[in-house]
Amino acid sequence: MFVRKKTALWMLVALLFILPACSGGGSTGGASNGGNNDKPVQESQGKKDKTTLRIAWWGGDKRHEYTQQIVDKYQELNPNVKIDVEYAAFDDYWKKLAPQAAANQLPDIVQMDISYIVQYAKNGQLEDLTPYIGNQIKIDDVNENVISTGKINDVQYGVPTGVNVLGFQYDPELLNKAGVDSIPENWTWDQYEEIAMKVRDAGYVMDGSMAPDIFFHYFLRTHGYSLYNKEGTALGYEDDALFTEFFGRLARLIKEGAVPSQEKLTQTKGILEESEIVKGTGVGVWQWSNQYVGLQAAVNRPMELASMMGPNMEKGLYMQPSMFWSITSHSKNKEEAAKFIDFWINDVEANKMIKGERGVPISASIKEAIVSELSEPEKQVFDFVAAMEEKSSPMSPAPPVGSPQVIASLADLVEQINYGQITPEKAASAFRQEANGILANNK
Amino acid sequence: MRKQSLRANLTGYAFISPFVIGFLVFTFIPILISLYLSFTNYNLFNNPQWIGTFNFKKMFTQDQKYWNSVRVTFIYVFAGVPLRLMFALFVAMLLNTKSRMVGFYRTVYYLPSIIGGSVAVSIMWRNIFNEQGIVNSLLIFLGIPPVAWYGDPNAALGTLIALSVWQFGSSMLIFLAGLKNISPEMYEAAGIDGATAPRKFFKITLPLLSPIILFNLIMQTISAFMTFVPAYIISKGEGTPMDGTLLYSLYLFRQAFMFNNMGYAAAMAWVMLIMVGIMTAILFKTSKLWVFYESKGGR
Repeated sequence: MFVRKKTALWMLVALLFILPACSGGGSTGGASNGGNNDKPVQESQGKKDKTTLRIAWWGGDKRHEYTQQIVDKYQELNPNVKIDVEYAAFDDYWKKLAPQAAANQLPDIVQMDISYIVQYAKNGQLEDLTPYIGNQIKIDDVNENVISTGKINDVQYGVPTGVNVLGFQYDPELLNKAGVDSIPENWTWDQYEEIAMKVRDAGYVMDGSMAPDIFFHYFLRTHGYSLYNKEGTALGYEDDALFTEFFGRLARLIKEGAVPSQEKLTQTKGILEESEIVKGTGVGVWQWSNQYVGLQAAVNRPMELASMMGPNMEKGLYMQPSMFWSITSHSKNKEEAAKFIDFWINDVEANKMIKGERGVPISASIKEAIVSELSEPEKQVFDFVAAMEEKSSPMSPAPPVGSPQVIASLADLVEQINYGQITPEKAASAFRQEANGILANNK
Repeated sequence: MRKQSLRANLTGYAFISPFVIGFLVFTFIPILISLYLSFTNYNLFNNPQWIGTFNFKKMFTQDQKYWNSVRVTFIYVFAGVPLRLMFALFVAMLLNTKSRMVGFYRTVYYLPSIIGGSVAVSIMWRNIFNEQGIVNSLLIFLGIPPVAWYGDPNAALGTLIALSVWQFGSSMLIFLAGLKNISPEMYEAAGIDGATAPRKFFKITLPLLSPIILFNLIMQTISAFMTFVPAYIISKGEGTPMDGTLLYSLYLFRQAFMFNNMGYAAAMAWVMLIMVGIMTAILFKTSKLWVFYESKGGR
């Protein structure tokens, strides 16, 4: 009796030691999305010469699928490298990455977004890629304006996976029905407004749902300013009249009924099937070139791309890196990681699988090499981006720490303008106060 | 003898230790850490910086959005919970009648609660109130102009409240159990005395049901304060339009995970805890005035 009790006790104690071990292993596995954290240890014990890389990205199913294929292909060609993948949707990705960064457990290669790269770079999470550029990572075929988008304070923290450019994506037939033959070359904001009125009179709508941070930023650039100052400690423009002009015009278009109302915009936001152009009531939308292929598929009518409005489009336009590959400073295999990034940018077979899904490839020779693999809309995008690349200027510095909050505040104020709750003038000064308050933390 | 009881106790502790350790590691210690974080400035990258009560001061004196989220949450709770309970009681009384198929109906009415609060329901709700959703189609059919349900600042919170009312199943089940406990003789006796149906309801059903109403009220109020998923899904995580659906927990989430203000979010969470505590205490205190316990012979 006594002995049995004792044994039971010991079994329990043993169990106690096992339990935390299990839950510990489970939680790291969960955090890395099945990335098998335990494996590297086993591998390194088995074969010492095999390097293990961890790579993380965000995206949808299609992206996960082909990225996995490329990873498989790379492992096939490089039997000494083993790559563990971790992926998630955009929101979840950043929620997962931040704790990993806090715990010094970032993957070797991470996909970075323009709105986060400064934060990660400034906190010492990312590696300076300059020593690898030209060595492991070949960039002979890459436009300087493009590769420099990965620089923060002249340090190369990321290599763009591809580029996008802003433009107007529209249905030419609907435009004709409104009595406009074609979009004029080098059109201006005033011309845009005129066309919008004609479109309204014909019973259709133009697009007024310009993401405020992106298009207002473009507008500021055409005037020689930018949304943030170089140091990221305050707004980059002094004259609130610019704010009033830009958002005043958009609000006016709403009032005139030439673009959908804010109620409608809020309601249909993020639902492609309910956007005006897909329903056949809207002429076009303003967005990034990489969104064209998906939109074209949903619209299912012939579409075209037009440039941004001027004056001074050349000053305003820039090649936007769709996203970056960055190497983290915790990585123990930075050279191997750099080689994988090179494979991504310069391997023809790999890029035949990517097909510009992460933006138009940055290497000119790759662009040529994969043209034959593209669908008609994909080709349109490649051509459009190539044409715009010549007319673009260097990108402004990447958004500073705190920019998500600044953008949220801007979006709020724009919403209030569009609902008629506040005048553009008042919003302009309110925005200046709020944004500078947030950005002052960067000093 | 003493030794043996120690041993017996030890066995007991050993048996409960998986829970105790789990509770300490995954609940209690994180709670303490969140209390510490609420007094710091912490963005996940740098070490937390002690800033005293700054977060709380900012919350109460500078952050208009915070007060807006408090306002929205209170409207949501004070409109949503009573409506939901009334609806639950109404349906419970319907389902308390003796008819065939009543089991089937009970299942059907409870279904929304099984999937309740989940992402799927919120997406479905979004579709029902979409521009071209069922509700607007119905309005157009009746010749009424359609409404941008969650695009209109005045209507958006209403659709959220409607969603919460619709998920009445769990409180309904509890009401149903309570109704079953009221003996039919009471109604018979009242009927002989000539009491009308409304009178029976107000003089018999409600008083006898009041302890259960109190229970439901407290549980539903607490969960309503913490509502997050529907607002997150329906407003795409932004609390639009014009912060009309920016519920407290959604704003907390935005501070924590969109703006990386972990310290501020922790402070918000503690204020929320205190607010819910006060609300519950008030409900308990006032319950003496209206809750009727048979066993105590009246009050």
